[in-house]
Amino acid sequence: MRPPIIRLVVLLAVAISLMSCASIQRAQDQGRVGQVARLINSGEAEKLAAMSAVPFLLDQEIIPLRADIAAFWGNVVKTGYKVEGPELEKGSPLSADSYRVFADTMEAKAFFARYVKKGARVLELSTGGGRRIVLLVRDALFSRTLYGFKGPF
Amino acid sequence: MKNSLPARVLLAAALLLTASYAFAIPTDVTYAEGDASIRFKTGKQQTVEIGAVLNTGDMLKTGRDGLVELDQKGVTLKISPNTVFTLMERERKGSTTPVLSVALGSIKFRYDKLTGKEPTVQTNGCAMGVRGTEFSVFAGADGSTLVLVDSGSVEVEAEGKTVALAPDEGVEVTLGLGPGEKFAVHRDQVDYSKWNDEKLSAMLADPAAAMTGIEARMSSYIASVTEYDGLYRESKQRFDDLIQQKTRILEEKGKEDALKFQNEMVSPVSVQASHLFLNLRYFSLAALSLRRYVGGRMYMYLKSRYMTAPDDGIWTEFVSRFNRVLASFEQSIVPQLVAEDI
Repeated sequence: MRPPIIRLVVLLAVAISLMSCASIQRAQDQGRVGQVARLINSGEAEKLAAMSAVPFLLDQEIIPLRADIAAFWGNVVKTGYKVEGPELEKGSPLSADSYRVFADTMEAKAFFARYVKKGARVLELSTGGGRRIVLLVRDALFSRTLYGFKGPF
Repeated sequence: MKNSLPARVLLAAALLLTASYAFAIPTDVTYAEGDASIRFKTGKQQTVEIGAVLNTGDMLKTGRDGLVELDQKGVTLKISPNTVFTLMERERKGSTTPVLSVALGSIKFRYDKLTGKEPTVQTNGCAMGVRGTEFSVFAGADGSTLVLVDSGSVEVEAEGKTVALAPDEGVEVTLGLGPGEKFAVHRDQVDYSKWNDEKLSAMLADPAAAMTGIEARMSSYIASVTEYDGLYRESKQRFDDLIQQKTRILEEKGKEDALKFQNEMVSPVSVQASHLFLNLRYFSLAALSLRRYVGGRMYMYLKSRYMTAPDDGIWTEFVSRFNRVLASFEQSIVPQLVAEDI
């Protein structure tokens, strides 16, 4: 059996590595939130449309046409909407129940099951004025895909 | 306890096989360019290619530069950009009818010959009966429909009213209302994009009026789904009882009597049940189309415009009414859908 000091060191190392993973994950999630907020705030509708998946989940609505997703971001930017003071509250990997964050419906569940690729994350953030936003984002090697946007609510 | 839908789909498939029915009319892609994709009823998606074959339940979508031409055994369909089109079927007067469903965008139809099974063309707002004809259908952002006839005749039916169109005539149908007055039209002089832009602007200017149309249409679909669901359940129960009787006959009287019973009693009920199921699915999918391509788009357009004013009365009233429609949809339509429909 290992001496107590070695066990303690191993436990500490595991704890530190887990904390580091969590910190790295949180930093990555903050980066994702920051990028989407920046694109909205700087009026980059075309970039938002380009990074949005088709179909796209807007609140409880599945938007199946690329032209509509582009129109959505175009209008959002045109109205002058800004994500003020975005703060990441929670970042979660996909789970069987992730769809409920958007809508507790069969359609949202089917959307997550059929269209959202493994590795996507559900990011819940608070913004100025006490309103909240949820993003559904997935990173690939050189790209980031936005599968859904909920809020502000 | 309710049967799950997949179980019901399997049963219906079994009934169809028992009845030796082959309803579907395959539709070939004869031309394709630009952004266009097919979503098969299995849920699989692929880019449209010449030679691809669509069957009942398959959906075709064209993007901004997509153009597709289809041939359905004598019926030619020219599908314009930004169009969503689905092949459907329903039962009418004891036989199945192909339904060419335009959820959004525009399609030009032409009959090269009579097929014996003239299809019904439908949009979210109306249905059209066709008699050896060349005509165009435009399905607008607010669920309105514009029908223009080049040759032959078309009967446009909505909300219990019918208008018969002759060559060089057209009619507009507002969602939830019957067809308007027919008017004279000059061929190929209608600009669909302009018409659709006007419909979209009107919808955004008066969301309450547009919601009234959606509510009326959804109520009508829900009533049909409820009716067919009840009839299908009764028919299925009768079918199950007959199958048990047939098993008893087989055990007690032998193969010949069982076969006679199958032909005389079981088969007619299995055909009836399959027809009822076909109509149940038809109305459920029509409701989904209304929800997705009219209601959902309206939600998206209004939401994006009111993101900076979420407490505005126009938006809050719209959301309140929209949520009521969604609640009815959830309760009555969603139990009839499967994940592959989404």
